[in-house]
Amino acid sequence: MFDQYLKHSRTTILFVMMLGSFIVMSIFLPGKFLTLSNFQSIASQIPEFGLLAIAIMLAMLTGGIDLSIISTANLAGVGAALILTKYSLPQLGAYEESYIIFLAIISAIGISFLCGLINGLLIAYIKVPAILATLGTMSIFSGIAIVITKGYGIQGFPEKFLYIGSGTILAIPMPMIIFIVYILIMSLILNRTSFGFNLYMLGSNPIASRFSGINNRGILIRTYILSGLCSGLASIIMISRVNSIRPGYGSAYLLQAILVCVLGGVDPSGGYGNISGLVMGIIVLQILQSGFNILSFSPFFKNVVWGLMLILVMILNFYSLIYSQRFRKRLKVD
Amino acid sequence: MTGTIRSNQIQKIFSQNEAYLSLIIVAYSILVTSLNPSFLSFENLLDLGKSSASLGIMAIGVFVVLLSGGIDMSFTAIAISGQYIAANVLIASGIDNIYFAFLISCMVGLGLGAINGLIISYFRIPTFIVTLGTLNVFHGILLTVVGTKAVNSAQLPDCFKKFGATNVFTIVKPEGGSYGLSIFTVIFIALALLTWFILTYTRLGRSVYAIGGDMEAAKRAGLNVFSIQFFIYCYVGILAGIAGVLHVSLIRYSNPTYLVGSELSVIAPVVLGGTRITGGSGTVIGTILGVAMITLLNNSLILIGLSSFWQEFFTGIIVAISVSLSSYQIRKSMMI
Repeated sequence: MFDQYLKHSRTTILFVMMLGSFIVMSIFLPGKFLTLSNFQSIASQIPEFGLLAIAIMLAMLTGGIDLSIISTANLAGVGAALILTKYSLPQLGAYEESYIIFLAIISAIGISFLCGLINGLLIAYIKVPAILATLGTMSIFSGIAIVITKGYGIQGFPEKFLYIGSGTILAIPMPMIIFIVYILIMSLILNRTSFGFNLYMLGSNPIASRFSGINNRGILIRTYILSGLCSGLASIIMISRVNSIRPGYGSAYLLQAILVCVLGGVDPSGGYGNISGLVMGIIVLQILQSGFNILSFSPFFKNVVWGLMLILVMILNFYSLIYSQRFRKRLKVD
Repeated sequence: MTGTIRSNQIQKIFSQNEAYLSLIIVAYSILVTSLNPSFLSFENLLDLGKSSASLGIMAIGVFVVLLSGGIDMSFTAIAISGQYIAANVLIASGIDNIYFAFLISCMVGLGLGAINGLIISYFRIPTFIVTLGTLNVFHGILLTVVGTKAVNSAQLPDCFKKFGATNVFTIVKPEGGSYGLSIFTVIFIALALLTWFILTYTRLGRSVYAIGGDMEAAKRAGLNVFSIQFFIYCYVGILAGIAGVLHVSLIRYSNPTYLVGSELSVIAPVVLGGTRITGGSGTVIGTILGVAMITLLNNSLILIGLSSFWQEFFTGIIVAISVSLSSYQIRKSMMI
């Protein structure tokens, strides 16, 4: 019963924060914040960033971290971009063009699957600490991307492919629709399957989960593969939105993705956190981001705010933990 | 009984780790020299010693943090803050003195390190997250408050340039020109020795190993974890400040956006040197060997005919293989 109280209080706090930032922005930036174009720009930025945040969240739920998400996304993006630019010629018919776009998407997904698998094998079988394993693979993946592209960007994709990143259906950006579908699938996986249940078990206590007959290695490998797939999907949206790919693109997302996980109530030591909290965290961050953009803050000042927020949220969590421990003690005494 | 056997085994593994690393370095040097004889010249080696000094000093700082069971991501921001503020203060005040530059840079480093130390030791927050936050706060404040304009070679006070060209001894080449042992290398070795001395022979240094090995046990043994952690992050801050001044003296250019983003390439050599990320074990020698290996790799790719694009890839491969090997050995020795 107490856990339920804690869970609800955290979700409520996030919800209040989300509403609060929304109302503050609407009042203080009249006529600029509450516009359709602003919401469309918010909605087109959330997905690629949100997918990367989910990738980190999955690793955090097991008590690890995945530093290689950006490099995985870059490598997958480079793979897809090569296929799109090498094989798509102007004289191709509509059918062949669709086939090549399909091939590019499949290859991006395949590359990110392999990247996740490598991370998972290192972490689950060789038992390398997640932060070190992904530190190494981060350099490897982005190194491969740099070697392939020689540090240059690849640009100019077929018109149809760009629809994924910039098309709209009923004024809703296409990436947003993909993201919502993906969130629903992920929530189902995390909350309604035995894999999801085992994932949380493993995160809160790996030894206990092992002795209750859970295949820890299998869960870890599947988690990192899933995390890689999130990055791959993010890369497809990313390269189609900006119509180019350059190794190193999106490296600023790493801090923001970790920030949003912590803000959304994911415990970096594992076992706690859910998609709804994460999504609310993302929305809060994006509302603030768009407010900063309207006020034309310098990007460096934004970094200061993100860094301070990250530390403040952790300090608040620290106090709430102490408070809840006292509360629990009092319950026991009664 | 079994406990002592296990710890002996672990000690053996780590001395083995250093031996392996030395072997790899020697073998690789022979390989590179056979492909390009100009590699193994005395001049080139001294030059490598000079250019790796600032990386090495930061690596020693990171090593101390890893030893205590933490991780620091913010040291690059501290180094660049120290460097950039020192350069600007020297220009503004007109004082052209390298000691003054070191003083300012170290004070900045100490101050920022102390902020890290206070947050980490007072609130029990994962160090990775705290320092990732402070990395952005420090760097953001530097760029917003102090400025974003790079100090170019012409504006840079002469003391930096003079300091960068200082050699402890100089050898004049018969065909003209000269080379020598840079003061950078001497500072690096002196700081390594100092760190080794603190860690091996002082109570404070042993406590760093103790809290890295088992924080709870260290607390129960009566160690003041708060002050030890505070010391560690201040120490890293000072080292980062020194590294910042060396960096600007080497490249004669101070751009406030440099260094930040290269945190992981400083952590890599430390990990390569056998320091365990969970804390409690690792040696200064291992860290120096790790720095040597990475420097060698970065500087020899062009000599053996590979483009510099391969640098990051090979660094990643080496880190992945070395952490895999050491994790595998630990697992085998623990019989899990």
